[in-house]
Amino acid sequence: MQQLHIPVEARTLSNGLRVVVSPDATAPVVTVGVYYNIGFRLEPRGRSGFAHLFEHMMFQGSENAGKMVHIRLVNSSGGILNGSTRYDVTNYFESVPSNALDRMLWLEADRMRSLRVDDENLRNQRDVVKEEVRMNVFNQPYGGFPWLDLPPIANRNWANAHNFYGDFQDLDAATLADVQAFFRTYYTPRNAVLLLIGDLDPAAGFALAQKHFAGIPAGSAPPSADVSEPPQTAERRGEVAEKLGTLPALAIGYHVPPRRSPDWYALALADRALHGGRAGRLHRALVLQSQMALEAEGGIHYPMGDVFDYNGPMQLVTRILHKSEFSSDQVIAAFDSVIADLRRSPLPAAELDQIKVKLRSDFYSTLEGGLGAHVPRFGLMHYLACFTLFDGDPNLVNSALDGFLRVTPGDVLAASQRVLRPENRSIVFRLPAAQAAQKAAD
Amino acid sequence: MATETVAPISPLTPPLAPERPVVWPPRTAARLACGIPVHMVERHSIPKFSLQFIIRSGASTVALTEPGVAGLSAALLRTGTHTRDEHAIDEELRRFGADLGTGAGADASWITTSGLSEFSAELIALVADLARNPAFPVGPFERERRNAVEAVRLERSSPSFLASERFRSVLFGQHPYSVVAPTEAQVQSITRDLLTAFHLTHFSPSNALLLAVGDFTPSRLVEQLDRAFHGWAGRAVEQADEPPLPSHFGRHVFLVHTPGSVQTQIVAGNLSITRQHPDWLRLTLANAIYGGAFHSRLVANIREQKGYTYSPRSGVNALRRHGYFAVHAAVRNEVVAATLTEIFYELDRIRALPVRPDELADAQAYLSGVFSLGIATLDGLAGQLATLYLYDLPEDYLETYRERIRAFTADDVLTAARSHFDSANMQIVIVGDADQIESQARLFGDVQVFDAHGKLLSAD
Repeated sequence: MQQLHIPVEARTLSNGLRVVVSPDATAPVVTVGVYYNIGFRLEPRGRSGFAHLFEHMMFQGSENAGKMVHIRLVNSSGGILNGSTRYDVTNYFESVPSNALDRMLWLEADRMRSLRVDDENLRNQRDVVKEEVRMNVFNQPYGGFPWLDLPPIANRNWANAHNFYGDFQDLDAATLADVQAFFRTYYTPRNAVLLLIGDLDPAAGFALAQKHFAGIPAGSAPPSADVSEPPQTAERRGEVAEKLGTLPALAIGYHVPPRRSPDWYALALADRALHGGRAGRLHRALVLQSQMALEAEGGIHYPMGDVFDYNGPMQLVTRILHKSEFSSDQVIAAFDSVIADLRRSPLPAAELDQIKVKLRSDFYSTLEGGLGAHVPRFGLMHYLACFTLFDGDPNLVNSALDGFLRVTPGDVLAASQRVLRPENRSIVFRLPAAQAAQKAAD
Repeated sequence: MATETVAPISPLTPPLAPERPVVWPPRTAARLACGIPVHMVERHSIPKFSLQFIIRSGASTVALTEPGVAGLSAALLRTGTHTRDEHAIDEELRRFGADLGTGAGADASWITTSGLSEFSAELIALVADLARNPAFPVGPFERERRNAVEAVRLERSSPSFLASERFRSVLFGQHPYSVVAPTEAQVQSITRDLLTAFHLTHFSPSNALLLAVGDFTPSRLVEQLDRAFHGWAGRAVEQADEPPLPSHFGRHVFLVHTPGSVQTQIVAGNLSITRQHPDWLRLTLANAIYGGAFHSRLVANIREQKGYTYSPRSGVNALRRHGYFAVHAAVRNEVVAATLTEIFYELDRIRALPVRPDELADAQAYLSGVFSLGIATLDGLAGQLATLYLYDLPEDYLETYRERIRAFTADDVLTAARSHFDSANMQIVIVGDADQIESQARLFGDVQVFDAHGKLLSAD
């Protein structure tokens, strides 16, 4: 078996900013990322959607790079840029030819030091975000299903249970003072990691990081927050109207064990046995054999992420679109019989071996790949950031698979028995409006 | 109207360091004994490789005679061969750590795969079996056809599908590129025999192309491919003549009425050139300045200044035989007219006035830089290879792309914009609630209103 080794060097600046460098001379380009340890889970109450709205504000101007200047300087350096808001991190990243590294660090440091935005910027981006939500949720068949639907049903702690994209009244209520307070609280060097990946010399990378970021005040530690979720003791169910789509859909989510616990590793392999593409047991049973469903996909942190890029309570989710002639109950019964199998008999060794090979192969592609090819090593950057912020050790990228590759059929069986219980799950139904009306009339 | 504000660049901005040379990695070409050309790029960043098996016949090949057959045929390729059933195929793939996709676009059908290089011989053998010996088994055929029926019903609930369906139909008239998807009845009428016949007619070494990128030695890979495709013979494939394209005079509006929509999907555009045309890169540059990049004029205007939309973009979409230019934006219902005004304002501006020197330099740096980013990943290399060989571009296209982009002048951009952004004759498709948007749309041309199933509801 060939093993991939990723070179990783890490330092911490005096203000607490962690800097991680991974040199790779494949092409004369670098990917630069800044990850802040704040995601939508911890946005303020009464301000649902704020972490994401704030992410948009980080593109609206800083002291030395006003509105449109940041974007223009990245594009005109030959690069592309973006950001995203997740459960526990918000990231900002650029991929550029490597001769623009100095400039990119200057830009990122400028907005970490001094966000300069006004009410007009806020109004503008509130409008943009509303169109984003309309496009991705309200005007899209199965929009937000199930990443927005399942958390409010499955969770009891507001941190895990609110609307992560934001209720429009909350977005409207957000003020410039909120923006500034959020920036001061969470966008500090000590709450962030800077990633430099690609065509650079590590020593030169650290020197540039020192030059641009070391002068930024450390700030105070963010307030500690309780994101814990009380144990679930009975199955939970809920419904969300499907206004556009033609097929009934449902999603099932089980709370998963804590990250990096023995059951978590084993459950991750159970997940790959269940989902994991066309060879997955659920696809095979529901789509290929019984032919009840058109889609049966899922995973831990599906569809927003994977096993590595969250840090708190999480669900193992299955998303099913099924034919109208089958009732939800029939589909759930078919799903349950696949789960029962997994809880009754150990995985055949050959199946577990195949799953491990596929896991390793997928991991390599994630590290190498680039969000549709134009953010080289996006996956590597993402994992280095998460391992730094959540686990304090970017080098975990070189051993992250080990815990999974050690899992035995017995481990999968035991974890499935402990986790895949009805009382540990939630189900959300998306019934198309026309069929819901019919059901009500019957 | 947009006022042109150019935010100042701070003197503190670090200059760019001297550029490092961008070298497109060497390609190796070969021809298998059965005749299939192979193009390879060696790259050992991870112990994996990807392979694209491409057939130069796709949905448009049969769009007017047997719509949906290319797509369904591709879907069936992975569901069984004469010696493997679909479960065996799926499990083999997992054992090789491989993903595999089959599909058909307008101009091509394909099997693409990516897997661990230690299993390259086995994975190549599997791909060749799928390509050469598909059984189109009855059970999977019935299942996939039924799923395709559900899929074509479902896609009518997607505003972006409805927009692109109507737009392509309007632009391309009777040409096969007018069809983006079969109807439900057309899918229902597809038989297994049609799929078998499509395969027999079009899957042939003379109509195939193989592209490989990743962790392998080219000579060994060719040996493995030769073994897998050994003895494959097929018919000569003739591409059918195509009907002429329609001419478009004046702006016309095609409204797809989706009652209650909270947003309107706008697509506006015109027929345009292909990658073979001498103006292709000039037009690419003009598009980058107009609406093809985050810092472009259109995005700055309707997103960053006005907040009408999250995701405006423009692009020149080049299919094999013809291309088209399209501007897309999903906007709130109240600003449909306002958005169209800005779309045309920016088009007319780039057609009327030379771009500023700094804008030109920015866009040139952007396109040449993004091209370098594409070299850094296996997916990027694979994409660039596919562009080169599927569209029969000059062999030095990739190597000279950056210098050609950088050599253009403001005059080149102006010429390209005047020739290929046909502002006065653009066709406008909007998908949304007619009660809220029809009067706004009427400001831009006569209006035909359709329902989501393509039925004409009213026309001026």
